Amino acid sequence: MAKDIDISSSEAKFLIDSLKQGFRFDSRGFEEFRDVGIEFGKDFGDVTVTVGRTKVHCRISCSIAQPYEDRPFEGLFYISTESSPMAGPQFENGNNTGEDEVLCSRIIEKAVRRSGALDVEGLCIVAGSKCWAVRADVHFLNCDGGFIDVSCIAVMCGLLHFRKPDVTVAGEQITVHSLDEREPVPLGVLHIPICVTFSFFNPEDAEENIKGDLNNEICLIDATLKEELLRDGTLTVTLNKNREVVQVSKAGGLPMDALMLMDCCHKAYKITETLTDQITSELKRDADSRNQFAAMLSSENARVS
Amino acid sequence: MLSAQVGVLDQVDGSCKLQCGETSVICSVTGPVEPKARQELPSQLALEIVVRPCRGVPSTREKMLEDQIRGVVTPILARYMYPRQLAQICCQVLESGEPEEQYSGKELSACINAVFLALVDAGIGLLASVSCVCLAITGDNEQIQINPSQANLIKSTSTHVLALQLGAGAKKVENVLLLESYGAFDEESMLQVLHSGEMACMETALELRKVIEHKIREDFIWR
Amino acid sequence: MSVFIAPGDDFHLESRDNVILGPGAYCDPRSQAFTPVNAGFEVITESKKGICAHVEYNSKRYVPAVGDLVVGLITGSFSDSYRVSLASFSTPVTLSYMAFPNASKKNRPTLKVGDLVYARVCKADKELEAEIECVDSTTGKDDGFGHLEHGTLVQASLAFCRELTFNAEYPLLSLLAKHAQFEVAIGINGRIWIKSEEIRHTLAFSRSLLECQDHPVSEHKHIISKHFKNVLNASS
Repeated sequence: MAKDIDISSSEAKFLIDSLKQGFRFDSRGFEEFRDVGIEFGKDFGDVTVTVGRTKVHCRISCSIAQPYEDRPFEGLFYISTESSPMAGPQFENGNNTGEDEVLCSRIIEKAVRRSGALDVEGLCIVAGSKCWAVRADVHFLNCDGGFIDVSCIAVMCGLLHFRKPDVTVAGEQITVHSLDEREPVPLGVLHIPICVTFSFFNPEDAEENIKGDLNNEICLIDATLKEELLRDGTLTVTLNKNREVVQVSKAGGLPMDALMLMDCCHKAYKITETLTDQITSELKRDADSRNQFAAMLSSENARVS
Repeated sequence: MLSAQVGVLDQVDGSCKLQCGETSVICSVTGPVEPKARQELPSQLALEIVVRPCRGVPSTREKMLEDQIRGVVTPILARYMYPRQLAQICCQVLESGEPEEQYSGKELSACINAVFLALVDAGIGLLASVSCVCLAITGDNEQIQINPSQANLIKSTSTHVLALQLGAGAKKVENVLLLESYGAFDEESMLQVLHSGEMACMETALELRKVIEHKIREDFIWR
Repeated sequence: MSVFIAPGDDFHLESRDNVILGPGAYCDPRSQAFTPVNAGFEVITESKKGICAHVEYNSKRYVPAVGDLVVGLITGSFSDSYRVSLASFSTPVTLSYMAFPNASKKNRPTLKVGDLVYARVCKADKELEAEIECVDSTTGKDDGFGHLEHGTLVQASLAFCRELTFNAEYPLLSLLAKHAQFEVAIGINGRIWIKSEEIRHTLAFSRSLLECQDHPVSEHKHIISKHFKNVLNASS
């Protein structure tokens, strides 16, 4: 970040004081995720996700490329998370070397790409010479905290929504069929990782940050921008609906108990479950609206069971 | 054809989401803020313009768009009101609506209109109003399409982008701020383009004015 | 009052001589022609000195002007002055150590980085760094300026802050006062500092202020009682 948002010590004190009394500024509970809005565009793989006032747009695209020599059976998959001053003047254009930006892109990379959420072997067209290169461009539009969580949802929705053109292979010759010629094919998504970020606040004085044997820290889920600016520690857990822990990231900050970590994972699992269900139902709704004639063309009859 | 909302982002001072046919862009403006030392201009407002493509990394095409937007915005900004200050203008293309490798006219015209609305929303001083349209000449009978669809754009023999400076309640044309043309065309069709472009710009300007008027009423809703 | 005007339009004036221009209008130094530069409502008033024209518009970014009452945040201190921010990312302004009541070379003010101050803009040339003061320079008294302790800040739009400050008949503050006691400092720079005895009251006040700026005045009463009910129920 180039310059930071100014925040006064009065606001910091007020935030801690209200948390001590059990209040969050937006009247949410401590363990409540903000409402998630998922909006699909006209094209496949175009999705805008809003969580509270945070807004992220993700666009999936694909092209034909040559696979890496050491991995001839795998396609390519990139995620680009470049910030611009649109999300807020604290972000600099084209400069992603800030701690927060690097952390954000690494965690998304780990959660989505390295966890094998996308079946890259399914992107292979001709082993060793041709494969699909899938690209996810994440655009941060508005920043009100929780970029990691929101981007992860956006990328996953994009991948699930995207359709790549169908190809026919005849020897070395490949034909790409345009979208109106043949029904495009969805990507192979193996699981849906969901990131949940916890923010920790130390209600005592700064000494507690170092010793940390009291363990009475306040833990919030899905912090807003102001809460993010004032927090003393953060933890991001990525889970999927199969109860698999994809990754855990805790880069410094307040020390924390192992039991607390377990507890956080359990809390995160509940959120993962509801979010996964929401993503699948939104996708289904979008698919239905695109395919109004399906019922007419279907040969399925109503059966009496 | 054209629909726009202002004030859609809250971390920046002004913003606008604009949809024009198949093209959709979102634009943010922050300013006047403190510039970095290398951006500072001693007597006027410095501009930082960023255009980000819908897919892939920004390339020379986006640099070119940035430069064209700068050319349109600079003469209408009341730059001398803000010496040693900076305005950041950032455009994100959400839907391109044209084959990106060959065309940029639809994105450019949408960006210019969006930047104008976002600047108004940010309250940065402007000396005049702007409006911009994209035109394409198609077929043997040289039909002029205003804000062409993607299919018409591909069929076209030449494409043009026209931005006009307007005054007096968006009823008087004061200046031509930009005229970008690609393809093969002759002098007569150029004049034709200018003529129908002018009318289309006036219409667009009225649309933009409605958006601004709506914003002002919303702004003072607590009255 | 509510004549809509956009940049590049003409002011609706009978004569163009002897006009005093206010915010939102710009006079070209060479041609002496003037136009509105912001979109808003045109306001034309007649005074003894001449006709005044300005545009009433809303924005989020504050540009300092002499006489404005502002809430600033101390971001640094030098040998003879503080650096104060009036809005995040804007050019900082200076607050001299001598601009406090009873100031002398030996008597240094005790503000720290991160503290909030209520002050008045005393110098605002657009080419130079603006200056603010925490003292009424005509009387030398503190006049309510100075350090704002505890409480919290609310960000509001500039036009809303102006209305709260200048329109004594605007009912919002008195509506709020019906629910609990509070102290408030409204900065024209879009920052409202608010403080009350109890955290939950402060919370309800700040939530109400934020929400009221997006709703017509008739709904304010309802919004405020909703927020107060909300905090009182939660704690019981």
